[in-house]
Amino acid sequence: MYGLWTMVANDLRQRIRDKSVFIFSLIVPLALMGVLSLVFGGLGDDTVDLQPATVVASADDADQLGAALLGAVESLEIMDVTIKRAPAADVRDEMQASGAELGIIIPEEFSDAVLSGQAASVQLVQGSDATLESGVLISVVQGAVDQIAAGTVTAAAGGIAELPHQDLATLAQQAAAGPPLLTLTEGQAAAEQLSPRGTLVAGQAGLFLMFTVGFGVLGLLAEREQGTLARLRSMPVTAGTVITAKACTGFILGVAATTVLLTAGSRLFNVSFGSPLVVAALILCVATAATSLTFVVARLVRTAEQANVAQSILAMVLGIAGGAFFPVQGTGFAATLLDLNPIGAFIRGLGISAGGGTLNDVMGPVAVMLAFAAVGLVISRFLPDWGAQA
Amino acid sequence: MEVAEVTTKDVLDVRGLVRRYGDLTAVDGVSFHIRAGETYGLLGPNGAGKTTIISMVAGLIPANEGSVRVAGLDMTPSETEAKRIIGLVPQELAIYPDLTARENLKFFGRLQGLTGKDLTRRTNEVLELIGLSDRAGDLTKKYSGGMKRRLNIGIGLLHRPALLILDEPTVGVDPQSRNSILESVERLSVEGMAVLYTTHYMEEAERLCDRIAIIDEGRFQAEGTRDQLITLTGGVDRINLRGGGSTSRAAEALSALPAVQHVDSDGAGLMLTVSDGPTALAGIVTGAGDAGMSVTSVEIVRPDLESVFLHLTGKALRD
Repeated sequence: MYGLWTMVANDLRQRIRDKSVFIFSLIVPLALMGVLSLVFGGLGDDTVDLQPATVVASADDADQLGAALLGAVESLEIMDVTIKRAPAADVRDEMQASGAELGIIIPEEFSDAVLSGQAASVQLVQGSDATLESGVLISVVQGAVDQIAAGTVTAAAGGIAELPHQDLATLAQQAAAGPPLLTLTEGQAAAEQLSPRGTLVAGQAGLFLMFTVGFGVLGLLAEREQGTLARLRSMPVTAGTVITAKACTGFILGVAATTVLLTAGSRLFNVSFGSPLVVAALILCVATAATSLTFVVARLVRTAEQANVAQSILAMVLGIAGGAFFPVQGTGFAATLLDLNPIGAFIRGLGISAGGGTLNDVMGPVAVMLAFAAVGLVISRFLPDWGAQA
Repeated sequence: MEVAEVTTKDVLDVRGLVRRYGDLTAVDGVSFHIRAGETYGLLGPNGAGKTTIISMVAGLIPANEGSVRVAGLDMTPSETEAKRIIGLVPQELAIYPDLTARENLKFFGRLQGLTGKDLTRRTNEVLELIGLSDRAGDLTKKYSGGMKRRLNIGIGLLHRPALLILDEPTVGVDPQSRNSILESVERLSVEGMAVLYTTHYMEEAERLCDRIAIIDEGRFQAEGTRDQLITLTGGVDRINLRGGGSTSRAAEALSALPAVQHVDSDGAGLMLTVSDGPTALAGIVTGAGDAGMSVTSVEIVRPDLESVFLHLTGKALRD
């Protein structure tokens, strides 16, 4: 172990000293993130700030359900709504004068109609511009009307059942005022996707991780080319220790660079990846997967130039397929292949983490990355060592 | 060739070493041994198999046949104990350009098991020995070729190996650094270190090596001390006569002299193989003149390892 860590420390010292690791692992990806963010402008604005809205409403103040409907609109938490009252005939003029987003015309005796099971119509008038705010307001009114409609249906059902008139009114009121039978709760599912900016940061971190871990195998080839590998092999350390040291170097650089990239990216692009513990686990797993690939590359290439080319090709293929630049989807076998991509799994894992996922929730992506690492190691064991034959 | 007697003081014992690359047999049945304090030379042209032998002795590559034992321990690529006893100075520079000389020495010293004060002391000693103390803190990529070569050797010496293996350490080195390297090797031998030294420079082998193996095409052609090898040529000298006139009549006349064993002629003069050239020289020059040759220059070539190699292989050492 002493020999192993001596070699790792020596490698890290040289990598830090020649500064290329900083350029390729940190400066380039951060710059690329910035450029891509500008190119795809507006990426990742996850939150939408709704502007204050004005609603012109016509309703009888004494109408209980009409007042409830307007109350629902006025009490919206996601935007400030001001309601202006106007007679039904003046609603359009008032809208034009005040620039209101929506007009609501509630018919007279609206509550009586609902409670007696008769048809009642609420008229909505949209402003001259179909804004996001007016769309939200229409949705809210629609939801409230749907609930009130339940009262009408209930009253109609009571009429068919020949219930007394007073009982019909009570039932209808309860149905209209009661909670809906089916509710849709908005929440964050465990398999939630990252925001566009989050995907960009995670994807670039994953992509450049492939380059960063490559410094390990490049180090091995550099040793071969500068003659120090022969000297190392004449020392009392095994060949496996030498290779493991290079893998450890790549792994450590990969983990460090990815951690810095995600941290810096999340600050610069205002995205969150969730629990640091889960993110750390994902980084360790994706770095393991990427490092295993370097063992395969080390077997196949004979020079540092070849290693550079091979590493670049693998990084770009896995990065693009994993969604480093834009989301990639497939069906059937292609979808399976995409799912097995460690960078894709890494981004999925970060998506789950960002959505509040725990370690248990990211077990799927973790399994994919570790399985990839295992397969990479097994393949490298059976490949002929072309580099050693050079 | 048969291996010489092996004693308990042998630091290196190589027997029947064979290494093949496909159909090519790079090393074919090589055996030798080296005792403590002895410098053993492998002399041969480029491609003769010297580096392949070194690679097997240092445990870099496995032998197809035969064995290597260092201080009684088997040496193979997977052995680590035997590797603690050797110090390798590869033919190619084996230093890290982005580290200083001190950092290079300390790194390889740690891998050899040196730690703490012992590592620091040996590092300073070696820096002094190779004359790099005042540049120890500079990155080696800023060093001259000679300085790099000296550091390359220093790393091999750091842990005081019982066997130092030097593979053509003076290739591409300026004369001053070359002399410094040769002096260092002489000193190490005196201090009791066994040295395996490969070279294709005859002068280096003659100066440094107690015993020399002449190798060509993967085989030992001969082995022994310099004087033992010289006797293989029959102890004859060569005399080159340059000049004009009747060289063919001179060749005929000189062939009749008792000291002259053989006469060759080329356009520029005659080349004679003679026993005891200095004694026979006066009679040869007189005989050539009497036969009508006008001699303009005379050269006596005493037998050396070059002659031995030529004698054994039929080609020059630097072919």
